[in-house]
Amino acid sequence: MKKRSHKRKQSSEVNLGFQIAPMIDVVFVILLYFMVMAGDIQVENAHNTKLPGTQEETKEPVNLPDEIAIRIEDDGQVYLNDDPLDSPENKALPELAGSLKQLRESSDNSKSTVLVTIYANELAKYQRVIEVLDALTRAKISNVTFQAGSPD
Amino acid sequence: MAGGGGGGDGEPEFQIAPMIDVLLVLLVFFVMITSAEVLKVDKKLTLPVSPNAKERDKDMAKHEFAVNLRFDEATNKGLLVIDDEIKQNWNDVLPFLQDKKKADNKLRVVVRADGKVPAGEIQRIMNFIGQAGIDDISFAASNK
Repeated sequence: MKKRSHKRKQSSEVNLGFQIAPMIDVVFVILLYFMVMAGDIQVENAHNTKLPGTQEETKEPVNLPDEIAIRIEDDGQVYLNDDPLDSPENKALPELAGSLKQLRESSDNSKSTVLVTIYANELAKYQRVIEVLDALTRAKISNVTFQAGSPD
Repeated sequence: MAGGGGGGDGEPEFQIAPMIDVLLVLLVFFVMITSAEVLKVDKKLTLPVSPNAKERDKDMAKHEFAVNLRFDEATNKGLLVIDDEIKQNWNDVLPFLQDKKKADNKLRVVVRADGKVPAGEIQRIMNFIGQAGIDDISFAASNK
């Protein structure tokens, strides 16, 4: 009994007021956690396209577009009008993007548009298709269509 | 010309209240940006990486409808998932997409496919989207 009364006395002496220092510690830890997480965020972006044959027709005369074919083989090799460009391991596709940019600039000079058709083989990886779309975005080409199978 | 700070006598005190205000604002900011982005990512598929893909149009957000295509290693094919439900028969999707198009004329289908999915499967789902009369397609990609 003696021991219990001693305990009661001790607890009554404890200050139960709001402690600011531990709260700031906790807030700092939570803040740090979210700051680190924020650097690792994956943002979901998109490549927009319109399916052919469903767009509204215009009555104004339109220059026929310069058609370009990009073929993607099963192993990831990319061909621009039958010319192999970049190695299958190269994800940035600098040669393809450079060639497409030149083609787009020459089309702009002749006041026509560029139309790119992507022929992706059945077993080519979708990642490779997106890499080609990425190169097209860098070359500022927006007229893109898809075709199943090879152009031959 | 007293140099700023308090204006009173003695040393300027460290003010705890404004510091807590700033801390909480920072905290709320980081909580919001992390949770907002995480919600959009389906962890069961790995989106292809495309650093130059455009940011999604916020005006079109209400017209967007996601079609998920997970990679099935066993069959080397795509696994179609719509509204968290795996669709075994892809033909069932056609009337569903047609109804969606009827309800919203500006409908945009966001194809969220795993980077490993064969391109043939993407063309297959594009065929269905085209048959449903939907012309606006967007391919989701991750920034890193």
